[in-house]
Amino acid sequence: MSAAPSPAVSPPEPCSRVAARLAEALRHGAVITRSEELKPYECDGLSAYRATPLAVAIPTSEEEVAAILKVARETSTPVVARGSGTGLSGGALPLTDGILMSMAKFNRIVHVDPLARQARVQPGVTNLRISQHVAPLGLYYAPDPSSQIACSIGGNVAENSGGVHCLKYGLTVHNILRVRAITIEGDAIELGSEALDAPGYDLLALATGSEGLLAVTLEVTVKLLPKPELAQVVMASFPDVESAGDAVANVIGAGIVPAGLEMMDKLATRAVEDFVHAGYDLEAEAILLAESDGTREEVEHEIAKISEVMRASGATDIRVSSNDAERLRFWSGRKAAFPVVGRISPDYYCIDGSIPRGALSHVLKRTEEMSGKYGLRCANVFHAGDGNLHPLILYDANVPGELERTEAFAAELLELCIEVGGTITGEHGVGIEKINQMCSQFGSAELVQFHAVKAAFDPVGLLNPGKAVPTLHRCAEYGAMHVKAGQLPHPELPRF
Amino acid sequence: MEALAATPLRTRTLEALRQVEPALIIIDDEEGLRPFETDAFISHRATPMLAVLPESEAQVKQVVRACRKLGVPVVSRGAGTGISGGAIPDPAGVLLVLTRMREVVALDALARTAIVEPGVRNLRISEVAAPHGLFYAPDPSSQIACSIGGNVAENSGGVHCLKYGLTTHNVLAARVIDGEGEAMEMGSLALDAPGYDLMALITGSEGNLGVVTRVSVRLVALPERTDTLLAAFASVGDAARAVGEIIGAGIVPAALEMMDRIVIEACERAMGLGFPTGAEALLLVEIDGAEEEVVAEAARARSILESCGATDVRVAADALERERLWRARKGAFAALATILPDFYTIDGTIPRRCLPEMLDRIYELTREYGLLVGNVFHAGDGNLHPCIFYDANKPGDMERSEELGGRILELCLDMGGTITGEHGVGVEKLRQMCSQFRAPEIECFHAVKRAFDPDGILNPGKAVPTLKRCAEWGGLHVHRGHVPHPEIPRF
Repeated sequence: MSAAPSPAVSPPEPCSRVAARLAEALRHGAVITRSEELKPYECDGLSAYRATPLAVAIPTSEEEVAAILKVARETSTPVVARGSGTGLSGGALPLTDGILMSMAKFNRIVHVDPLARQARVQPGVTNLRISQHVAPLGLYYAPDPSSQIACSIGGNVAENSGGVHCLKYGLTVHNILRVRAITIEGDAIELGSEALDAPGYDLLALATGSEGLLAVTLEVTVKLLPKPELAQVVMASFPDVESAGDAVANVIGAGIVPAGLEMMDKLATRAVEDFVHAGYDLEAEAILLAESDGTREEVEHEIAKISEVMRASGATDIRVSSNDAERLRFWSGRKAAFPVVGRISPDYYCIDGSIPRGALSHVLKRTEEMSGKYGLRCANVFHAGDGNLHPLILYDANVPGELERTEAFAAELLELCIEVGGTITGEHGVGIEKINQMCSQFGSAELVQFHAVKAAFDPVGLLNPGKAVPTLHRCAEYGAMHVKAGQLPHPELPRF
Repeated sequence: MEALAATPLRTRTLEALRQVEPALIIIDDEEGLRPFETDAFISHRATPMLAVLPESEAQVKQVVRACRKLGVPVVSRGAGTGISGGAIPDPAGVLLVLTRMREVVALDALARTAIVEPGVRNLRISEVAAPHGLFYAPDPSSQIACSIGGNVAENSGGVHCLKYGLTTHNVLAARVIDGEGEAMEMGSLALDAPGYDLMALITGSEGNLGVVTRVSVRLVALPERTDTLLAAFASVGDAARAVGEIIGAGIVPAALEMMDRIVIEACERAMGLGFPTGAEALLLVEIDGAEEEVVAEAARARSILESCGATDVRVAADALERERLWRARKGAFAALATILPDFYTIDGTIPRRCLPEMLDRIYELTREYGLLVGNVFHAGDGNLHPCIFYDANKPGDMERSEELGGRILELCLDMGGTITGEHGVGVEKLRQMCSQFRAPEIECFHAVKRAFDPDGILNPGKAVPTLKRCAEWGGLHVHRGHVPHPEIPRF
């Protein structure tokens, strides 16, 4: 693999000069440089990492975005694009010598075509707003990260976000048709198409999940789906986590694709029950929540089949939601689980990894063993149907050695994910958090390839440098989403 | 056996390839090379300098490295059923034929995945998966012959991709040798992989970014029940509207295909399947899934078809009748060859909502050119396959048909569609790429190509035009009524 050509780069200019040039190029008030005003931008949802950018620029038009990129290019200043800042891997963490470009003012729903079932939106529009906007048409946008009330579609594209329903409806990449983006060179490019397939390389898929390293998203065309006629949830109790893990594999193995298939273990259900009174079975070692949606016939049939498989896999109790209020109550504990776990432990550390579904019960068993070995409690609340794990290691940062043990525990868990054929991230991205685990996930041939792709789009390396893909030299310690003294960043947002 | 002229480069390449371990099958005589001179885009041909048939990834890697050192182009080829010329050899290059890498390496029924070598035929995967109640969903009509490696290269679709997606939605991971002979893993068997989505990037890249040596595919449960409906319409517009209404009602049929009168009559003449006569258009609607779901959806689809003016709706009573209906669809292109000696098939895609308007415009244009066009296509996806009939013996007829084809593709673009649905760009549509994309996007494609293949040895000159290049139109040419491999169902 040959090194990317390194074009002539002008030497960086003094920070104040960059800010002044931004102020010249943009409308009045679009540039923030005062330190107290920069504070809200110093981190995203990964609050363990903070940095103050040299300036925040808030463009309102494509021309302004192009102007910001031009300043960046001409002054060799890195640019980090930011949506709502709910990301959990630090993808929108500013660089101290860089410009933070907030896309918050790109918040228009440009066009909705109910017949083609598409909506064209600006990147700062929140995920939930799309669904609310098209609800009168009987439509919705399927991917639903738990932070959907706040997270923006531009951020969803950057991170290829999932959600509890992505088992059936797919990740962001499966639900967008077209992206208009701008490269660091200032060229606007159209990726994807509204038709079935587009010729040329699949740059839309390449840009999705690229964590702001390849281009800045200016507009997204999303697919809309008709709202299902009916949705129901099966809640099943299991005497041990392994049988719950097997039940997940058996449901999928039976050819059922539930709209959501989530698992919570006893530690998690006990913590949330006090808080949400969802009616969870507190004696069960694990519960599964399986949702079915579609036409009435389809749902009735699927719910019966799911219940049958759960019973055959050893479920001790099965309940089916009888109305929508009950269905939402069953889910309430799941969606609130992360903030609530903060109540039972001063600190926790959330891991995001994916494994092939068949390895679920094996990995859960090994997690339990590791929990004993490290002397730390671990709660499991996760997207079981996808094999997307979110183990929460509970610790107290004030007890000497606990943080280190936690990090070692997390490291071993992620290594286990790779060992069973999985990956070090499910839906939270790499950002700055998992940049080191990328060294375990990939060999040098793949990493070199990633850098070559980056150079193809951003030869000067100014878009979100240092995130998502590690240099080959780099192999430091693992990071994670740290909850300090029970304080989750934005505790009001449901998580995962 | 006739020896080809021995140029110094050819001799050196041959020597280098003979060093590959374990020893590689090399074809270097003219007679042996002839079968490889084209794929199914038969209007273009070239004899490769040499062809090799590797049996392992290690051999592929050495071939790419050897060719790179010598600056010799490498064109990968699977079963050679591609219809945009993606596997047409480079006369100065090595043709890498992957048909001998045809092992089904593993099948995991619980995880519903299979790992296969690139030369495994599409249909074979479903055959191997069938005892487990599973199948591989994308089903290009050439599935009895086409290979999974070629499917990945072209991001192939099929009649069932409306519900089940294209190849890109059904492959999970691949092992790939890039233009520098480096092996890498793309994608993952888990939900999502960190890093850029190179798996999606390689899918549909037409052999320009790497050579696929292993593919992990997703398997899907065989549906409990499948119902097929055939509806006849008195006008093409009514049929096109029915397509929109069915999708609009939230039904996602496994397949939704349309044929117009010219095609219906040709099929009837060739196969005598008892189609309703006098119809201007037929829709084939297939619904699969769980028993209750299929019964309910088929009833809904039927009432929509009737309310849109279907004059006759039949339901296949059993698997045999269903198969008969599909035989007409999959054999349609062979049947069309009975109408006029030559035809030219277009592959373009439009947003579904534009279907009625698009068909009207195609008929108008056809009248303007004084030619005949038959339509048989994936209506549910908006993927059109107009067939323009012409007689190569009539002076100017072929030129006019190519011009008409070009106008139809331009129309696709006007309506917000694309110049290809599922056949790829290859050499056929290089020029239309210039209409589809603007300079910044084309430059971006070239930059991506360089990231994988800095010396540009992999399938050079295909899929992405240089900014200068704007060559002539091409197509699937049927000459004197001969479709290449008429035994293989098409589209």
